Amino acid sequence: MLEARQVSLRYDGVIQAVDGVDFTVAPGGLVALLGPNGAGKSTLLKAVAGMLPFEQGEVAAGSISFDGRSLLGMHPASIARLGIALVQEGRQCFRGLSIAENLKAASLARPRGAATRLDMVFDYFPFLREMRQRPAGHLSGGQLQMLVIGMAMMGQPRLLLLDEPSLGLSPTMVQTVFDVVERMHHELSVTVVVAEQTVPRLLKMATDVYVLSRGRVVMHTPPAQADEETLQRVYLS
Amino acid sequence: MLLLQIATAGIATGSVYALIAIGIVLIYKCSGVVNFGQGGYVMLGAYAAYALTRLGLSPQLAAAGAVLILAAVGALTELLVLRRMLKAPVVAVMMVTLGLLILFRAVCLAIFGPDQIAFPQIFPQGAVDIAGIFITYNYVAAAVLSLVLSLAFLAFYRYTPMGLMQRAAADNSRAALAVGIHVSNQVSVAWAVSSALAGLGGVLLATLNSLSLTLSSIGLVAFPVIVLGGLTSLMGSLVAGLLLGMLEAFTDGLLTPALESFLRAHTSVYSVGALQQVVPYMLVGAMLLVRPQGIFGQRGTERV
Repeated sequence: MLEARQVSLRYDGVIQAVDGVDFTVAPGGLVALLGPNGAGKSTLLKAVAGMLPFEQGEVAAGSISFDGRSLLGMHPASIARLGIALVQEGRQCFRGLSIAENLKAASLARPRGAATRLDMVFDYFPFLREMRQRPAGHLSGGQLQMLVIGMAMMGQPRLLLLDEPSLGLSPTMVQTVFDVVERMHHELSVTVVVAEQTVPRLLKMATDVYVLSRGRVVMHTPPAQADEETLQRVYLS
Repeated sequence: MLLLQIATAGIATGSVYALIAIGIVLIYKCSGVVNFGQGGYVMLGAYAAYALTRLGLSPQLAAAGAVLILAAVGALTELLVLRRMLKAPVVAVMMVTLGLLILFRAVCLAIFGPDQIAFPQIFPQGAVDIAGIFITYNYVAAAVLSLVLSLAFLAFYRYTPMGLMQRAAADNSRAALAVGIHVSNQVSVAWAVSSALAGLGGVLLATLNSLSLTLSSIGLVAFPVIVLGGLTSLMGSLVAGLLLGMLEAFTDGLLTPALESFLRAHTSVYSVGALQQVVPYMLVGAMLLVRPQGIFGQRGTERV
């Protein structure tokens, strides 16, 4: 489904964030993209979603394709319309708009069937229905994370990219977020990539595990082999 | 009687100010750029309408044509100038908008010359008699058109999918990109709408007074309007525009005559000059000391 070959990514023309990475996502998979801070996980996801040029970054070498179609040079809005949704770090939403407007805005690129999807989002996150007239800026961190996942669902993605969804959340909230991701993966047959530092729960549900360190893939295994001990060794090496 | 007449004039010019200020706020919201050249678009709109009548169009068609031309000029400004400056500091971009103002003035000066031109009559001549006071159709039309269009635009911005895209792009461009909203196109749309509103404002101001290069200095009035309105609030611009129009009209119609007759009686001073251009700014300054975020502006809040 998603195929990145020998991808090198740079910031400001000089800072090498990702160096010769091969990264493949099979349809229906749930891929864990692990690695310490600064390993290049976010950069890789941003490159897929076409967001790098907006942060002075670029794809310096390699190819990225989605269903055989090259994503290089495509505008992020066009990539989103292909059915790739990136849930960015920092819970990016429209804080000055109401929750209902946030969800509506997220469906404008693919308006067909938006009403059904809105019901589905409210079914996943009942609190969003109750608070739908409130500004998104009033939500707590965990609620915001749910909202941005809900916004991604409104775009009817086939490939969902989640960038550190657990960052800054309480342990119970982290469990809730992963419950939702797992449910989406099963019920909506969405292919998912989750970038995280380390989350045991993620290893239990993943179908494939990549570990990045300093811009390179240092490990690619089925989740059975990726126990915490091995991961710790890879992280520290 | 006199009060009513003054108020009508105030509403008419004030609602045109609002129309022009709404355009500035629209661009500021979605790109962070204050368009110091807005007065240039106001002036271009009036001259474009005049040029079209010279080409044989009826004044009404010419006015509509000028609005369309200005929408195109605005979109082109974004495409040819602003889009190339995406990575430049916002201050540099604002300086460029100021440069555009100077350029537009020079172009109009070269083509139409420095003299005042009698503007073609768009609305029927004559006046309506409202409870004994006479208001010319020009004033009625300017007030009604600007108010209706301002409100229609606010409704468009608030309730339509296109308006939602505008607001989303203005609120958080990164989030907008990620959900498939083409942010730069939204900025183009904002420039087109803003310039069209400015162009219409120019046509209406020219019908109220006359056509000359001084129309471009209307930006100087529009800025206190947006500051008073709270910089990011379209509704604020509407209210502040009306308020400033009223202030100008009442200063001109009541305060200046009263002050002049007082001075004449007691001193050798005969005239106080264009007081209506000073008093609004003083009031804006005073108000900002009390309420720095403007009437409708939100005090910046941040989660820490």
